[in-house]
Amino acid sequence: MHTPQNLKMALLVISFLTGLSLLYKVIPVSKNLDDFYAEEMYLVTYRYYFKNNNGNTTIKTYLPKNNSRQRISAEETGAKKGIQFERVAQDGNLMGVWTANKPNLFQNVDYQFMYEGKAKQFHIPQNFKSTLEATHPYLNETEHIQAFHPKISQKARELVLGTKGDLESIQRLFNFVHSIPSAPIISFTDALTTLEQNRASCNGKSRLLVALARNLGYPARIKGGILLEHTRKRTSHAWVEILVNDQWVPFDALNGHFAYLPSNFLELYAGDEFLLVHTAGVQLDYTYEIKELDKIPFLSMNSEQFSSISPFSLWGLVEQKVLPKKGLNLLLLLPIGGLLVAFLRNVVGLKTFGVFLPVLIAMALLETGFAQGILIFLGLIMFVGLAAHPFNKMGLLQTPKMVISLTLMVMVMAVGSYLGIKTEIVWLTSLTIFPTIILTISAERFTTLIQEDGFQKASGTLLQTLMAVSICYYVIANEWLPTVLILFPEILIWVIMLSIVLGKYIGLRWTEVLRFNPLLTPKSV
Amino acid sequence: MLGRFFNIGPNSEVVGLNDRNLNLIYPNNPRKHYALADDKVKSKEILHKNHIACAETYAVINRVSEIKRTWNSCKQYDSLAIKPANGCGGNGIKILRKELHDTWISGSKMISDQQVVQHIMSIISGVYSMGSTDSCLIEECIVPHPFFGEIYGTGVPDFRIITLKHKPVLAMLRMPTSKSDGKANLHQKGVGIGIDINKGTLTQVFDGRRYLDHHPDNPQPITGKPIPYWNELIEISKATAKAFPLDYLGIDLVIDKTKGPQVMEVNVRPGLGIQLVNKMGLRKAIALAEEQQSKYVPIRKLSQYKESPILKPIGEQLVG
Repeated sequence: MHTPQNLKMALLVISFLTGLSLLYKVIPVSKNLDDFYAEEMYLVTYRYYFKNNNGNTTIKTYLPKNNSRQRISAEETGAKKGIQFERVAQDGNLMGVWTANKPNLFQNVDYQFMYEGKAKQFHIPQNFKSTLEATHPYLNETEHIQAFHPKISQKARELVLGTKGDLESIQRLFNFVHSIPSAPIISFTDALTTLEQNRASCNGKSRLLVALARNLGYPARIKGGILLEHTRKRTSHAWVEILVNDQWVPFDALNGHFAYLPSNFLELYAGDEFLLVHTAGVQLDYTYEIKELDKIPFLSMNSEQFSSISPFSLWGLVEQKVLPKKGLNLLLLLPIGGLLVAFLRNVVGLKTFGVFLPVLIAMALLETGFAQGILIFLGLIMFVGLAAHPFNKMGLLQTPKMVISLTLMVMVMAVGSYLGIKTEIVWLTSLTIFPTIILTISAERFTTLIQEDGFQKASGTLLQTLMAVSICYYVIANEWLPTVLILFPEILIWVIMLSIVLGKYIGLRWTEVLRFNPLLTPKSV
Repeated sequence: MLGRFFNIGPNSEVVGLNDRNLNLIYPNNPRKHYALADDKVKSKEILHKNHIACAETYAVINRVSEIKRTWNSCKQYDSLAIKPANGCGGNGIKILRKELHDTWISGSKMISDQQVVQHIMSIISGVYSMGSTDSCLIEECIVPHPFFGEIYGTGVPDFRIITLKHKPVLAMLRMPTSKSDGKANLHQKGVGIGIDINKGTLTQVFDGRRYLDHHPDNPQPITGKPIPYWNELIEISKATAKAFPLDYLGIDLVIDKTKGPQVMEVNVRPGLGIQLVNKMGLRKAIALAEEQQSKYVPIRKLSQYKESPILKPIGEQLVG
């Protein structure tokens, strides 16, 4: 069983060439490594069209700044002949001001930048440091934020009745404002009106939340920006920030984000302001054109820039929508997971249900979440075991019996999804077709194994399968892994090479070292 | 390369599953012939054809329509065993004994004609063979030799002899215990007893964790106890190994009270626990067997038991 020499040579040469090709790509890429780890990337363009009637026309808007969760690059100001551009710092915000001088002319300004962002969750302690003096600017009443109107005061007191700490108070205020029905219209609504008509869009809700917070002595302010999505839009968005121990913490009472900002929230300004201001009497139209880009999470380059370094990668498949990115990810992870299972079986000596079932289960867990997935898995196994019991007693043939288990399982999942929607428990609804099938097959395999090997041994195999699943999950849940495989598909050749090495491994499995221990320690023989 | 890195130093003579599959099973047992060993009906055909002693086949049932007629013709025997041809782990095997007035007993319970027919039906429809249809084997019931009773009286004990290229390399005796529910399998709480393959004597008892010098249910030491018909057992296993186109086999044998050594079944993937039972790695056993081969001249010892063996002729392999 010796591999012929020339075949061995061929394999070595292929490995070597693959290595070279990898190296050729890795060197330029390594210079672009990035520790920002943005989750999403957008190309944003503010487009303004206006007719300059009588000369001096000014358009002002807020410009984005870098912070811990957003990064702005590749900015183009849109300044050109006849249009001046100026940056102005104002109350901690940054404004862009365009001025056009020529009268009676249709003109346009395109301001463009690249946004990279990540989600951020803030931690809030039970109680805050007692804040600042009462003259804090973020504790004042304003025209639209009637923080000390009797109705607001009454509502605020009513809401925090019996709370045990600042966190709980904030949570109550937030829940109340979140529960106000949202109005589809983007009309201007102040805090009091929002409370009175019990209906508002983002700006009304935000003003009410700020008013309630200020009323109770928590410094709060409006935050403005744009929700980025792959589209053209004209709407901006407003949310709230409350000062918690010298840190501004975001709350979006419209979308229900408590102390959390998703990765597609472009932050533009703080304060109860309008995003766009222009000279009166100017005919103006505008749109925000937003294009989602394929982000390579650990590189400070996007897919186009990468393609210019090396044309050989699988980005083409993603960009031309040949395969959905998610599908491609799973496809590429399959060999890696398979290799891992091969290692766990042949070197470690774990016994698992089926050969590649652990990888597939781990993939199903990617959709359901790890802990919930394992719970669902164990729950289903118990369910199939119990539900199939009476049918086993009827002495039915294998295949029709499996159909019964499968049907029962689908029924449970349908009920589960329904309950999930009713009770808003998201993970109950996460059982789409793929996890359902995988978990059903595994549960079925386990029931069969109990019949063949008895409960104790089958449970042992189940436990080992779960170990293998956990290890697979731990590896394939790394978000950078599929991206690495898309950039460097040569790695799949190495998977084959490693499998050849593994396929020739004749050493004892680690579990066998334990089993044959009496024979391996010389003194006991 | 990687293999050497992981290997366990001087004791690499122990064979693990990887080594067994890669170096013993794959090169010696062509997959297309697995069925000859896995299917009891097929392996018995080969045994009968080569005149190797094994339980007499009373009937083979392949079709539901044959059940009633065949079962009636089998009622002439006093005892018989009903087995699925492709069963595993001893599932689906029923041993029947005739009582007075032509009633049948299975275990300790009465079993009606109707129940027997139903059992055969479920064997044929594949209940014990993972979904595919199967055939049902009805054969002579073997009565264990008193030798086994001297160690432990109940259940079905058997010998396991591993052969490589027709040479026996390791052997053990598997015995049920009071905890093993009549089964002799090491996984099911049976015990394995090591065998000195050259002397034909028992060495030590292994219960899965400890080594003992006696069966767990019988305080009498067994170390050095001679096995009756040992040379015949060795010769039968050699003949069996030659009869099959499979060069690495685990052959299960039993000694019948009156008919002597009999082949029970043949395995293409024999387990590795036998190394523990014998305190010897398979590699070392193979090396020893090759060494012995040059010196070994089988001599038929006069059995210490008075009954003379009624051996079926096994051809030129039987020496002495």
